[in-house]
Amino acid sequence: MAHSTHDAKQRSRSGQGGRRARSQPKGRQVDPAALAEVQALLGERPRRRDLLIEHLHLIQDRHHCLSAAHLAALAHEMKLALTEVYEVATFYAHFDVVCEGEAPPAPVTIRVCDSLSCELFGADRLLAELTSKYAEGRKVRVVRAPCMGACDRAPVSAVGHDQVMRATVPRVAAAIAASHDGPALKPATDYAAYIAAGGYKLLRDGLDGRRTRDDLIKAVDDAGLRGLGGAGFPTGRKWQLVRKEAAPRLMTVNADEGEPGTFKDRHYLETDPHRFLEGMLIAAWVVEAGDVYIYLRDEYPAIRHMLLAEIAEIEAAGLARDTRVHLRRGAGAYICGEESAMIESIEGKRGLPRHRPPYVAQVGLFGRPTLVQNVETLFWVRDIAERGAAWFAGHGRRGRKGLRSFSVSGRVKDPGVKLAPAGITMRELIDEYCGGMADGQSFKGYLPGGASGGILPASMGDLPLDFGTLEPHGCFVGSHAVVILSDKDDMKAVALNLIRFFEDESCGQCTPCRVGTEKAAKLMAGGRWDQALLDDLGRVMTDASICGLGQAAYNPVRSVFKYFREDLA
Amino acid sequence: MAYGFDRSRFAENKRAVLDKNLGPLVKTIMTRCIHCTRCIRFATEIAGVEELGATGRGEHMEVGTYVEKALSSELSGNIIDICPVGALTSKPYAFVARPWELRKTESIDVMDAVGSNIRVDARGTEVLRVLPRLSEEINEEWIADKSRFACDGLQRQRLDRPYVRRDGKLKPASWSDAFAAIAARLKGVAGDRIAAIVGDLACAESMVALKDLMAALGAPHVDCRQDGAKLAASPRASYLFNTTIAGIERADACLLVGTNPRWEAPIVNARLRKRWLVGGFRAGVIGPQVNLTYKAEYLGAGPQTLAELSAGRLPFADLLRKAERPLLIVGQGALARSDGAAVLGLARRTAVELGLVKDGWNGFNVLHTAAARVGGLDLGLVPGVGGRDVRGILDGATSGDIDVVYLLGADEIDTSRLGRAFVIYQGHHGDAGAQRADVILPGAAYTEKNATYVNTEGRVQRTRLAVFAPGDAREDWKILRALSDALGRRLPYDSLGQVRSRLAAVNAVFAKPDIVVPAAWGEFGAAGAVDAMPFKSPVANFYMTDPISRASVTMAKCTASFVASGTGKTGTHG
Repeated sequence: MAHSTHDAKQRSRSGQGGRRARSQPKGRQVDPAALAEVQALLGERPRRRDLLIEHLHLIQDRHHCLSAAHLAALAHEMKLALTEVYEVATFYAHFDVVCEGEAPPAPVTIRVCDSLSCELFGADRLLAELTSKYAEGRKVRVVRAPCMGACDRAPVSAVGHDQVMRATVPRVAAAIAASHDGPALKPATDYAAYIAAGGYKLLRDGLDGRRTRDDLIKAVDDAGLRGLGGAGFPTGRKWQLVRKEAAPRLMTVNADEGEPGTFKDRHYLETDPHRFLEGMLIAAWVVEAGDVYIYLRDEYPAIRHMLLAEIAEIEAAGLARDTRVHLRRGAGAYICGEESAMIESIEGKRGLPRHRPPYVAQVGLFGRPTLVQNVETLFWVRDIAERGAAWFAGHGRRGRKGLRSFSVSGRVKDPGVKLAPAGITMRELIDEYCGGMADGQSFKGYLPGGASGGILPASMGDLPLDFGTLEPHGCFVGSHAVVILSDKDDMKAVALNLIRFFEDESCGQCTPCRVGTEKAAKLMAGGRWDQALLDDLGRVMTDASICGLGQAAYNPVRSVFKYFREDLA
Repeated sequence: MAYGFDRSRFAENKRAVLDKNLGPLVKTIMTRCIHCTRCIRFATEIAGVEELGATGRGEHMEVGTYVEKALSSELSGNIIDICPVGALTSKPYAFVARPWELRKTESIDVMDAVGSNIRVDARGTEVLRVLPRLSEEINEEWIADKSRFACDGLQRQRLDRPYVRRDGKLKPASWSDAFAAIAARLKGVAGDRIAAIVGDLACAESMVALKDLMAALGAPHVDCRQDGAKLAASPRASYLFNTTIAGIERADACLLVGTNPRWEAPIVNARLRKRWLVGGFRAGVIGPQVNLTYKAEYLGAGPQTLAELSAGRLPFADLLRKAERPLLIVGQGALARSDGAAVLGLARRTAVELGLVKDGWNGFNVLHTAAARVGGLDLGLVPGVGGRDVRGILDGATSGDIDVVYLLGADEIDTSRLGRAFVIYQGHHGDAGAQRADVILPGAAYTEKNATYVNTEGRVQRTRLAVFAPGDAREDWKILRALSDALGRRLPYDSLGQVRSRLAAVNAVFAKPDIVVPAAWGEFGAAGAVDAMPFKSPVANFYMTDPISRASVTMAKCTASFVASGTGKTGTHG
């Protein structure tokens, strides 16, 4: 047919120019072997986008790194753009992305915590010794890592993710030799023991209609329970706010305690997980959340295994019949402790904090109204409901109400999680709960609220510790992580350690924080501190950062200028 | 101190970032990047290619592709405009000129039938870059890569003097020699042995002059549809994008027939994607199965599917019927075929049966690929009574029934079928038509004349002269006017104003530039059988569709990196 040949010619004309034939479609090709491996690893698991981080963990656990071939295969399998997978994989510290032509990392990774409490106890020296010991050979690599939540047993290091407390080179070497797969942690109070002690009765009462939701809201309200993750938002009010929003509502539990110096959530999870789980299910029942996502930091693998088993028990017992419980695994990012960043991470994305408003209570996880609670907050729900609001509110000193769990580390005789009344002073805490200062050390100052809460001098050791009491002094109590410092400690070094932590953990979304932390660290490492310049920088960071990380990162430096001028000389 | 400190307080070393390779269009200087992620968001949200991303955390964050060697989008050049710091710049334009050296002229793009509003930046006689102008109705603030980067083709392979073929070879000649050669050949040739074909880049002024000249010569064989599309010159609604481009945003369902808008009109495709992102919008495709950057249900390959749909036998028919403002977009791939008229009739029937045309809403749309086409149809440049269409003209030239063929920038025809005919080529590039020509009359490209184009919506727009045509080349209507004088059939206009009055006299739409006049609905298309042959998009290589882009070095590089020859494995493969 004349016409069709004419057509063909015409097309070849307008298509001319493509002279070089391509042997394959462009872009990274999916390697069939890698695809088969990824498919085998994923098995029957759904390929939903929000499970991306979980799937990356599967590959990382098996192969000790994420190779380009596996990432391409995973992107193909999950029908995601390759860039999305890369973005997420490179954001989290616990993923090792290995591009083509790069050598995979050593199979054994030793992480040495270099956050403040561990540094006080010689993390630097440990890191140097381990590095020189394992400099040769390709089996072991030594890297520094942020706080692992065991500050009372500093210095801490981890082989893989198994932690070695009060680490020394021989102990780490022994741990490598032992090389086991996540110890099976047995909680002090397991399901049977918890039930035997009257556990889950409160939840059953609620589920069976013997207690009303308003009843519970009133109880936590009267008790004055506040969010113990750091912000101290009244819990009862938060429940009411979320309840007001349209269904379906969701709930997330923040078990990503990354604030250096904080380890109270770990303590409660290890000792009495069901008290927390019951509190969680009650809160989910109160706000009628059909799905609960627990975001547990990756530094606690033993707790994860234990929780999976315990959650299976309560599901089998029919206690979670209206609530699906999902346990999600962090991947080494402090910023994911920020509620909106955590929500992003649960959605399988990079943990970038969101702008507010809208608040997560209105638009949170998957765009739904979301209740976000800290582990410890939920831990107290049962006791408050059973013993009465007055019991909880009855604790407290100097007019403050409630009980607080202080994670105490640093230069005291007996560090650890100390359950103390709200409003206690630092000196009282040291003397009554921690057995006094360690031998040969005298009290010089303290961090009242982890890395971001600022530093106070010993002369202010009589301030009541609670939400709202330290703000006039440029500090806050946050997650009640106190680190006690002595006359042996250089405050400049302390502040530099903290700012370096923030530099490492800044997500990079907003410039004041991303550039500010890096610049501050450089200026401070340079020797003499230029107060005018640093304060100017700090002010920009405080005023302009999107989330609390950047806003609070300058607090320790400001405190040193304010309270420890003699250290600046 | 009134103006602040005169030195930076930033004494430290700055961060250095490795530059990324984003292909032949976008140059990167990543150290400048401030991580605003505008490029990432443009790529994922507007262009719909998730290839840019930010990897790493904090100070180690970097923006890049990490995936491909290049960014495979037809809209990638826009990230140059939206980068606030110059981390992404134009590769072809890098270090070519300073902005204050440039003369800026507001104009209209002719690389497709969208009529994007552009700004032409020139220095001396050279067009150095093309940028978009804001036009909410048409291109918003984006333009396609071809519109932006093909301008280097304006410097190459240009026809800058007349040529006349002597002893089988094209020899440089003067204008009077060229006109004399034409006059000598035309002497005594009967009108019905003369034909004219209009190319894709012709302006309305030159087309009306050609129409008048052919009428004066008594030649009925005139055709502006060089691709053979079976569109008639009336009613106007039968060949327009009636919904308008901005109107896409009000639609709630869309059926694409025989078109790949991503390559035929990237700006229209971006608008469809924009609508899709809002939600409550379903799209269906009959024709080439490509990645359109939004979800589209594949219904079938050819006219049969359309027939079934119009009979209501497909579920998608229900969807269209129930939709409040459904769209139908017919591409040239459905019309430029032997059964094109029947397909057009079928498309019309579909539109009527499924309620796409109603009060206050006309969902019937023809998507053109040639900037000249709607103007040509508006001027009635279709065969008159007893006239031949493009295929007929070529048949006639082959068989010897046509003696003289006038090509007004027509290059996308099969020139080997011009037989022994005397070919006059008027145009600006030494492309296929000029190669075959016996006389070449050098014309002006769209940046070199004040000219009128009508876009696919039927919007009359005007380009402005940015640089003068090279050498002896002249504005096209003036060439035809001068030629008419030499042939003793002087056309009755001597100035641009007079030509434009003539345009308005032929069709009143030319009197109202820049607006869309809704076209009245009517009967069109033909009944009859349709082929089983699947629809094919007329654009096989987005980067090379016309003489300008075929002459462009940048577009050649794009072709090499983005279009795999023959395999169809491109950025748009399904």
